[in-house]
Amino acid sequence: MRKALALPTIALAAAAFPLLGMSAASAADGGSYQADLGALNASGVTGTGMVTLDGNTATVTVEASGLLDGSPHAQHFHIGAEGTCPTDADDADDDGFVSVTEGAPYYGAIGSSLTTEGDTSPDSGLAIDRFPTTGTITYERTFEVTEDVHEAFDNGTAVLVLHGVDKDGSGAYDGDVMSDLDPSLPMEATAPAACGSFAAAQMGTTPAGGAETGGGSTAGMEQEAAFGIGAVALVGAAAAGAVAYRRRQADQA
Amino acid sequence: MTEPTRHPSRRTWLVLALVLVVVGATALVVGITGQRTAPQPAAGTRSAPTQTSDRPADSIPGSGSDTAEAPPAADVAAPVRVDIPAIGVSSDLMRLGLNADGTVAVPPLEADDRAGWYERGPAPGAVGPAVLLGHVDSAEYGPGVFFDLGAVAPGDEIQVSRADGSVAVFTVDRVERHPKDEFPTIDVYGNTDDAQLRLITCGGDFDAGAGSYEDNVIVFATLTGTSPA
Repeated sequence: MRKALALPTIALAAAAFPLLGMSAASAADGGSYQADLGALNASGVTGTGMVTLDGNTATVTVEASGLLDGSPHAQHFHIGAEGTCPTDADDADDDGFVSVTEGAPYYGAIGSSLTTEGDTSPDSGLAIDRFPTTGTITYERTFEVTEDVHEAFDNGTAVLVLHGVDKDGSGAYDGDVMSDLDPSLPMEATAPAACGSFAAAQMGTTPAGGAETGGGSTAGMEQEAAFGIGAVALVGAAAAGAVAYRRRQADQA
Repeated sequence: MTEPTRHPSRRTWLVLALVLVVVGATALVVGITGQRTAPQPAAGTRSAPTQTSDRPADSIPGSGSDTAEAPPAADVAAPVRVDIPAIGVSSDLMRLGLNADGTVAVPPLEADDRAGWYERGPAPGAVGPAVLLGHVDSAEYGPGVFFDLGAVAPGDEIQVSRADGSVAVFTVDRVERHPKDEFPTIDVYGNTDDAQLRLITCGGDFDAGAGSYEDNVIVFATLTGTSPA
């Protein structure tokens, strides 16, 4: 009985004070967050993630290098845990890898999948055909995040994780250790390669794209009148000269 | 009636031809010399960075080398003026925010063209990437306040005067030009270890259809001194 009463009460309270919820969201409207990526599993990967939230619209930029070229790199916002990253020492099962399972107590579960197209929900967490596949990633996309992801940025528990590391240097995802997420995949395909916690950026709100700082007056032809006068005068000069020349010939005749 | 009165003489035609040649040549010279093109750094490349740590930070009397100790944003007064002696720029600074689409707002196109400070980022002299923007030109008023920004070279000084009378002195590290659709967001707007300044204007080819330049010219500079209020 108590439960049945409690839920409508909360709903009523929420309806009565819509501004409470809105003010929390608007405080974060236009806020920018940055994550500096550190390498995991000795990947050597470095990089930076930047996210600007406008309500629940996230403009996401990820730049990273040192990844295995030609193989998919799943990348996610992880949320709901400590908002921190594991280290290579967190290989609890001693299989030589810090796995996703071993990292989750630090960075949590997938909140958004940073796919190149289509769905960005946790359902696309292993959508390997829609993640970057290059050794150097330059990723830019704007998409809607869920309320829990927005809140994770607000309270400092959002973490950027890039997956896929060629730990044995073979040039491909392979090896005897299989993934803790999908036993049909090598551990190298899913193990985290880089991780960074998001924190408020120095740039309070990072502008999107470039700046429209030119109106174009000097790009085309200026002084069109001068060119016009010059052209007419020179044509006139040629005509006058021609008449003078003909008269000279006439005089001589 | 003599012939010369019925028809202008050969001499008259010759004089007329000469006068028109002079007029035409003068007009063309005016037209050609009036043609101005903003200086352009090489596209996508970086000019050689200078060792800012080697530079004495004494360009303004009484300035200290406080680069490593740049104060937090709250302690830095808002900028009111920028001077770039190397290209003869001296401009009051307006405040700039964001457009509705999330792009950075730019100063209005006016005869009295001014540069502006992006106020949703760090103030010049605070740790982080402070941003100043100015037009390269406008269709109505010609060259803008940052017309010559592409001619700024590593080592040049930029002085930013602040509301409390203090002056932050920055030294140019590099000048870059990038297509707007490949704008280096993290390089320009990402966190920095010290107090940095970015000056942004337009460059590259003008897309007449879009009424817009294709590139941005960006000057990167580091705080190398501060004169007290």
